Amino acid sequence: MALAEFLASLDKLAEQAQTAFRSADSLPALEVVRVELLGAKAGLLRRVQQGLGAVDQADKPAAGKRFNEVKQLIEGALADAQNKLAHGGEDVGDGLDVTVPGRPLRVGHLHPITQTICEMKDIMGRLGFTAVEGPEIEDDWHNFEALNIPLSHPARDPLDNFYLAAAGARPAQGETAGENLPPLLLRSQTSTVQIRVMEAGVAEAAKGGGLPPPVRIISLGRVYRPDTADATHYPMFHQIEGLLVDREVTMADLKSVLRLFCQSYFGGEDEVHVRFRPSFFPFTEPSVEVDMNWRDAQGNSSWMEMGGAGMVDPNVLRAVGYDPEQVSGFAFGLGVERICMRQHGITDIRALYQNDIRFLAQF
Amino acid sequence: MIVSWNWLKDYVNLDMPVDALTERLTLSGLNLEGVEKVGDDVAIDLEVTSNRPDCLGHIGVAREVSVLWKQKLSEPKARPVATGPAVSDLARVEVAAPELCSRYTARVIRGIKIGPSPQWLKNRLRTLGIAVINNVVDISNYVMMECGQPLHLFDLATLASQKIVVRQSQPGEMLTAINHQTYQLPAAACVIADGSRAVALGGVMGGADTEVTPDTQDVLIEAASFDPLAVRNLARGLRLHSPSSYRFERGVDPDRIDWASRRCAELILELAGGSLAEGAIDVGQPASERETIKLRFPQLPRILGIDVPAAEVQAILADLGCAESHVCDHCLKVVPPSWRADLTREIDLIEEVARVHGYDQIPEDASVKMVASTRSEEDRVLEQVRGVLGAAGFDEAMTLSAVDRNWVDTFRPWSDAAPLTVSTPVLRRAECLRQTLVPSLLEARRNNEKLFNSDIELFEIASVYLPRDGDLPDQCRMLAITSGGQFLDLKGVVETLVATVAPGANLTASEWEDPLFKSGRGCELRLGERLCGVLGEVSPWGLEQFELRSSTVVAELNLGVLVDHAVPIRRAVKLSSFPPVRRDLNIVVEEGVRWADIRRIVLAHGANVVESIEFQDDSYRDPDQLGQGKKSVLFSIGLRSASDTLTNERADAVRSEIVAALGQELGGQLRA
Repeated sequence: MALAEFLASLDKLAEQAQTAFRSADSLPALEVVRVELLGAKAGLLRRVQQGLGAVDQADKPAAGKRFNEVKQLIEGALADAQNKLAHGGEDVGDGLDVTVPGRPLRVGHLHPITQTICEMKDIMGRLGFTAVEGPEIEDDWHNFEALNIPLSHPARDPLDNFYLAAAGARPAQGETAGENLPPLLLRSQTSTVQIRVMEAGVAEAAKGGGLPPPVRIISLGRVYRPDTADATHYPMFHQIEGLLVDREVTMADLKSVLRLFCQSYFGGEDEVHVRFRPSFFPFTEPSVEVDMNWRDAQGNSSWMEMGGAGMVDPNVLRAVGYDPEQVSGFAFGLGVERICMRQHGITDIRALYQNDIRFLAQF
Repeated sequence: MIVSWNWLKDYVNLDMPVDALTERLTLSGLNLEGVEKVGDDVAIDLEVTSNRPDCLGHIGVAREVSVLWKQKLSEPKARPVATGPAVSDLARVEVAAPELCSRYTARVIRGIKIGPSPQWLKNRLRTLGIAVINNVVDISNYVMMECGQPLHLFDLATLASQKIVVRQSQPGEMLTAINHQTYQLPAAACVIADGSRAVALGGVMGGADTEVTPDTQDVLIEAASFDPLAVRNLARGLRLHSPSSYRFERGVDPDRIDWASRRCAELILELAGGSLAEGAIDVGQPASERETIKLRFPQLPRILGIDVPAAEVQAILADLGCAESHVCDHCLKVVPPSWRADLTREIDLIEEVARVHGYDQIPEDASVKMVASTRSEEDRVLEQVRGVLGAAGFDEAMTLSAVDRNWVDTFRPWSDAAPLTVSTPVLRRAECLRQTLVPSLLEARRNNEKLFNSDIELFEIASVYLPRDGDLPDQCRMLAITSGGQFLDLKGVVETLVATVAPGANLTASEWEDPLFKSGRGCELRLGERLCGVLGEVSPWGLEQFELRSSTVVAELNLGVLVDHAVPIRRAVKLSSFPPVRRDLNIVVEEGVRWADIRRIVLAHGANVVESIEFQDDSYRDPDQLGQGKKSVLFSIGLRSASDTLTNERADAVRSEIVAALGQELGGQLRA
């Protein structure tokens, strides 16, 4: 037997012994461990000692020296453990230095994006919005057509979307209609989920012969746009999208829900207000940008852009089978990264996806 | 769109401070991007959304100001005086591609004198950041920035046969544009040709051969309407974006085309002299009649949540240029103005009323109906999973959904199908949608190794995309973990995780060989019959693939399977109040005997009093002591009766029965 192998078995035994002694929670249990390790006939130490005979003659002195050290170490550890158990718990004696650090406990950290999303879900949940999810790989209908983004719309440009390469996407081999099917793509917004949820509601209602149900959801998840990665852009990011469709839903409801959300998320002691600026999105009309008054660390107040919102366009409601004369709705979409970065003082979006554990450990 | 403060004053009274103007514009649809002082003028940069091309000229912005401040808007009349012969005697226009160009007008001015622009014109263009060239070219730019209608001027003498043909490009056709770059035209693009060749890219840029030069004497003024999509495709295809293409892509005002032509002629006559030919060549369709839109007054509060007085609604729409054709208590009907192609529906009018009336009028304290929300089973499970992993010391990573093609084959636990690919990589080389999270996590591990970080314990929860024929891919949520610990450490974490989410579920492991794992150090995990994950120690080959320096154990679990086994509501069971008894066992078995079988037999023969079974060690092998090919398995059992105190005798009897069963079924011997 090589010396190294023998020493390794000694080290392993030493470690095993210390762990075992430490974890024994009663004197009888400790005795079991003692017999296992130091038992005169079949103890593990004895077995290891037998290995000493097989060590090369030249290495014997070194091996023997180490064996004795380990034996003493184990016996010492046993004595400590016995002493500790006999005196009921922590190290005793007069010499405890209370300033010595406690034994470290390694705790993991949730990603800041996850924490942001959880907080958002939590707040929106309290406001009566149920979180739903949908596929990240979408078809033309859900990502564009049903969202009132016709074929001629610039939002469909290949340079602004991650279309899937045709091969391997669809349709199945042998299908001939495939040529004309628009390609699938990585969704460019979570609004796709709105469509799926409303469609499901309409389909469900059709079975029962009733009206499609009210919808009150948020959808959250990854979205993709071909931006060059820099401090403020990344081709993958997260969105939170809210949708409320019901009778008599107004823009005042939209503004109020957004204010409550911002108040819960950022407010603390400060009173939070939101304001709307007109904007343009194909799937809402009227469309607005949403700002909230934000007080930075220095106490300066300013308007901070939160995202886009608006009243669901009647074309969208019609596309999925809701009657815009019967119901109205609002939708909003906020960028998770922006809010997360603002909240935590993160200045480069790429840091979120580099997974440096020193970065992650801060949250 | 940059507007000049001084210029705006030509059309509307500006008696407010610049700040007040920009604030109000921002809140009514023209978002302020920046303000800059240029000489004695102020350049105001406004963001114009793609639905509002009417604001891509000063008159349009001035109209917004006039609506918001209830001021009069005054526009130039544009009435040039013609003194020359009929234009049809001087030039001809043929539109061979009406689908690309719905209308083309031309005017001709002869005998002009090219020279520098007057100072006021230079100043205005400079405020906008537009290069000053000469009086005639500057005028065409000026008129475009005045009304939003792009114009092009040809040197009439350079047009073969003094003829304009608007047609589709021919294969292989080339053109040198006024930027002196030569372009090969894509097929079926809109070109302006003369009697013999292409002379301009329709709606995008003119050609160098026919541009106005210091020697030009006669000009042909083009004012036309080109198809937005065709212009966009051409500009994109050639990467040649111009102020002209920008406007045509968004659509021009059909009623402004002739005005712009007249206005251009008027200014040329004024600043460069010459004689305007009588009339204009006007080919193509006049704008179609706009449809009447009905706005029902009750729809305003229904959508906006506030009332807007009918008189104000009428005034706003009229100020915006809508022609009212009907009004009653219930509704009004209007024909929208030619410059607002975006207004076609009732909801569009509601938006106009709202933005001019002011979104600040909409309250932010409406009493929104209260409803119960529900949390999905999956969300509950994810929270538990994150809780366990955090407690176990793992940091959560987040990595890109697409991966380098070279990674695809390094690990394929879930699918053999060719990965879905993106036509352009999401990030450098990342073009395949991943089918496992493990390679991404191993890369994150390497990045941390490079940073000399220790204790790299990471997990990620994210989707993988498994292709399905004729359908959207199967998007499965996975949990992947990479640890610097030992195989059994990570297996313990996974077992704890499963026990937390799905207590009582039957999690089993079986040997699983994969190149990423060391031989004999990989396993497949099942919940009941269903495959739920894999776990293993990364092989030297695997470490090399990801340039890792130190060893790691990885696992990947399909969270969908875990969710299916989750126990959302836990039920309490009655706990025994009698004392436990513990027995230690040391059983010698063949090396090939597996703990799973020992455990099963122990539980089967536990006579309902084996409460727990705790594995301790199976590493001891010594041919002399145990015999060849044998191992000693140490474990202990906890025994407790639900109905009485378990005596030592009974405990020993149970132990004996277990030992006997192990002997019978596995050939195990109690070690003396």
